[in-house]
Amino acid sequence: MAGGRQWLSGTRRWLKPLRTVVAWRGRAEWDQVMVGLYCGDGRLQQEALDRVSAWKSRYGPKMPLAVDCTAELIRCKVLDSSGRLRSHELILSYGLALVRFVNLITERKQKMVSIPLRQLAIEVDIPIWVVDLRHELTHGKLPRLALCRKGCDVVLDWLRKTYWSRQLGNNLCEESEEEEEEEEEEQEAMEANTELDNDTWEVQTPQHEACQKHKEFHEKVRDVLISYKDEQFRVMQTVQSVSKSRELWSNSSSEVDWILAQIKDLMQENRETVAEVLLSDGFLIPTVDCLKMLNIKYEANKEVWQFRIPQTFYCFWQPLLTGLLSRSFTQTLIDKMFMKLKECSDSSELRPQFLINWISEMLTSIARVNSGKKRRRGNKRVYVKELFLQKVPLQWIRLTENCLEAPCWATPHLLQLILTSMRPRLPRSSRKNLLYLTSIYTEGGGPLSSPGLLSNYSEQPIYTIESLQWRARQENQVKNEGQAAENQEDVLEKDDGLEEVEEEEEEMVTETNHLEGLAHSDNVVAIAEKKAALQGSAWQITGDEIQWKDFPLGKLPGQTDDPDGLMLDNYSMMSLLDQPVRDEWKSPNTNSAELNIPVTGGLLWTQNDFHKIKSGLQLF
Amino acid sequence: MARFSPECAVVLLEHLDTPVTRFLLSLPPLSRLFEAQKKEESSFTTEDAVLASVGIVKCSPDNGLLVSESMFLALEELIQACCAEDEGVPIIMVCGPKSIGKSTFNRYLINLLLNHLPSVEYMECDIGQTEFTPPGCVSLSHVTEPFLGPPFTHQHTPHKMVYYGQTSCEQDTERYIDVVKYVFNSYKKEVPLVINTMGWVKGEGLLLLTDMIRLLSPTHVVQMDVYDWKAMAPLTPEYVHLAPGLYTKGKQQAKSKQMNLSAAESWKSSEGDEDTSVPDYKLLYIHPEFPRAGVAVHSSILRDMSILGYLGQLQPPDIGSVLPLHSFVPYQVPFNAVALRVIHTDVAPTNIMYAVNASWVGLCRIPDEIRCQTDGPVLLTQTPVCDCLGFGIVRGVEMEKKLYHVLTPVPPENLRLVNCLLLGNIAIPNCVLVSQEGIEGEIPYVTSEYNYNILGSGKLKKKKRFKKREYTYQCDYT
Repeated sequence: MAGGRQWLSGTRRWLKPLRTVVAWRGRAEWDQVMVGLYCGDGRLQQEALDRVSAWKSRYGPKMPLAVDCTAELIRCKVLDSSGRLRSHELILSYGLALVRFVNLITERKQKMVSIPLRQLAIEVDIPIWVVDLRHELTHGKLPRLALCRKGCDVVLDWLRKTYWSRQLGNNLCEESEEEEEEEEEEQEAMEANTELDNDTWEVQTPQHEACQKHKEFHEKVRDVLISYKDEQFRVMQTVQSVSKSRELWSNSSSEVDWILAQIKDLMQENRETVAEVLLSDGFLIPTVDCLKMLNIKYEANKEVWQFRIPQTFYCFWQPLLTGLLSRSFTQTLIDKMFMKLKECSDSSELRPQFLINWISEMLTSIARVNSGKKRRRGNKRVYVKELFLQKVPLQWIRLTENCLEAPCWATPHLLQLILTSMRPRLPRSSRKNLLYLTSIYTEGGGPLSSPGLLSNYSEQPIYTIESLQWRARQENQVKNEGQAAENQEDVLEKDDGLEEVEEEEEEMVTETNHLEGLAHSDNVVAIAEKKAALQGSAWQITGDEIQWKDFPLGKLPGQTDDPDGLMLDNYSMMSLLDQPVRDEWKSPNTNSAELNIPVTGGLLWTQNDFHKIKSGLQLF
Repeated sequence: MARFSPECAVVLLEHLDTPVTRFLLSLPPLSRLFEAQKKEESSFTTEDAVLASVGIVKCSPDNGLLVSESMFLALEELIQACCAEDEGVPIIMVCGPKSIGKSTFNRYLINLLLNHLPSVEYMECDIGQTEFTPPGCVSLSHVTEPFLGPPFTHQHTPHKMVYYGQTSCEQDTERYIDVVKYVFNSYKKEVPLVINTMGWVKGEGLLLLTDMIRLLSPTHVVQMDVYDWKAMAPLTPEYVHLAPGLYTKGKQQAKSKQMNLSAAESWKSSEGDEDTSVPDYKLLYIHPEFPRAGVAVHSSILRDMSILGYLGQLQPPDIGSVLPLHSFVPYQVPFNAVALRVIHTDVAPTNIMYAVNASWVGLCRIPDEIRCQTDGPVLLTQTPVCDCLGFGIVRGVEMEKKLYHVLTPVPPENLRLVNCLLLGNIAIPNCVLVSQEGIEGEIPYVTSEYNYNILGSGKLKKKKRFKKREYTYQCDYT
């Protein structure tokens, strides 16, 4: 099994988040806009706003709220400092921008049942007086300009601290202003560190002392977990009904929060031990008494639960698990579960059953969260909360190894769950083969085998038209060449399914080898044809020596990352005669650009006059 | 063949392997597009397994396309009307709320009609879920072959198309009406026309639909609704005669204007005698029994798919493998040879290239000649209603040589006519940008550092209604 150190570097690699599309070409452009918006210089602010207008076009309806709100507020400030508006008009502008900010930002935090704006504002650290200001603006007397200005400044500052400074991995924000996410990250970093420390520490300290310390720690974790159990049972007793208590459990109380905080504290010291205690009897693996108390019937038949943890038991532990399952702890816990499963895979007690079901629950929940799907449970009446709230990248290869090291009747199922969530995916053929092999290996063996579930994989290979065609081709070839016939036949009979996949891959390889040459010659012909068809038009195609494949969309050979690289200093405006005139862009600084309106020389009417006349015409 | 009775259906299965499908499968998120969904039960007989391996599985009867009584009657009547040789060809307008099965019905109807007629015209007015074109277009197509697959499998060039530039028309209904009018004007009334409308039938949407009926004067209106007239009132000729539209007036309304817009006026001038008679069409009501039509896949995914299906046409026909988009040699055109306009968003002219670069553009033709004394770009002051000949990606903007580089499957004969680029609110699917391979260094517009968990990082959520509290909030915090 991989040691802690390797694991750590592995985690780093897998933690790479998803790539998304944004409106700025690169970091330089983002930084330029952020600095521009917040610099206080009217001209630079206007330039930044102009760039944001292009972002808005790129994003369409997906424009980030915070960028939109910031731009609206900065626009007010620019208008204000230009001295073109009077105070009443300014109040209206500021007012709308502020109302939009408070509403839009807090709405994101709304739940199904509406929460008062004030409460939401407290949650996200927006000063209450700003909420009151919004209320005045919409329902009361218009506030004074000074208050609007102050509100605008405070809100812009809030946006800078909560959005701009933290986005794109910027760590410009002050230490005291960290919020949950960063705390979490830090906590993870600390967890990782403690692990390293543990390794070194254990080497240095005498054995028995370490043992003693470990025991004490173990006890501490146990105590806290027992207090969690007690609390959950207490809640259950207050309502005297299992279904009611499920609901109550899912709304975590301050008591549970406190317990969670304690465990998290312990986890920073030693994550592994916390996982170990969780998996000792009486916690995630229930005792028979425990099941009785929760009114859960234990079924010796393992298929009855269909890889699910009984719902009541799930609800009992869900708040705790959801609280604890950070990225790294998830990995630790599942790894530990597989290890425990390995130790007990041939017994037929509660333990393997629950281990398998917990692993299955966690993996399916991860799959759902990672693919952004919602939970679907058979029983729709009961609202069941997810174990995971955020995507959890895991070390999938390591999980696969651990899974294979604990073979039991359920391995094909668990393996399949891992393989489907695994990113990057294994090649299809490997996945298929691995599943075949596992099901063959686990099919006959042990008291835990469950043939009913394996029929999926152990069936005869399925012949497709392609595989038959391929086979026919192969046979022809063999006949023609008259060599190695026995060998070929042998291979074919072994496993057609596997062969087919491999063959496909071979084909791909040879194709790509041919590809470059083929594509090239093809290209030359196609380009020549296109060139001829475009003769005399403004559109051209050049077959010149540019290696386009080296340049991503949006970037041309020789183009730098200069954020000002696409600025225009010269353009002309053109209006159309036969087209309706509607909200056109009125350039505020026409002096910087040339303005030619073609075809208008000498006309007595303006475009608008012309349209009025036109629309007034009655054609019969 | 003689051995088959008339009830037999012969199904020819062909391996779906075209340049377009190869392109789609080359994109990581779509690599399993055509794989069968996992089945829970494993009760296959051997024959089933063989069929299942090519994607044919037994479904429960209620998963199938069910032709309800009302649909059957409507189809019968419509086919009869289309095959009758008497006065005029039918214009069939299909309407109803979204996800009710309008597209399914249209397909079924057109495919049936093609058994009797050589061709049918199809006018797409649902700019959010276009059948033959990328999204955001109103178009008129000549349909000669039955269509069965999802839209991305049968992208083709319509004979009239206008790029509206957005997937819903709420923000600029005036332009939408102008566009519909423009496209409809090129309908020759020689073959039957099927008009698909948007699923927006509430509030202004209903008013707009009323306008559409007045404007396009259909001979048949097919109204689909799950429960009798629940989503919308019956659009009987009498109702439409009296009801107000968004830009047109009902009969009984006073002369005082309900809207002071130029479209309303131009409307009046073009259709001078609007208020004379009750519109003359037959209303057919359909109670569909398509289970969950149009909800299996999110509409935005289908839109992305149709863009990808369109871009797949760039792939050379005879090479067995897929070339990445960025490796194609782009066309180039000087700034001053094509006019440029950003639809639906005000972009500062000095920054317009930031919007254009690596964006999806409509390649259009305006009747005006592009005249320009400088070599700079030509920005239009209005959004034209004009022919759109196809779409492309602005692969790059060359500021020094003042050239646009454009990737497009539009054939060069048509491309040479293009003199206007329209930039709408429709984006290139993310996977196109994200999955560019073989690039060293940063890919423009792609980052892995944008954190959506930070408050305010997401988009504006649309019209989410929050439940009002009915009881006092139980505060758990002590």
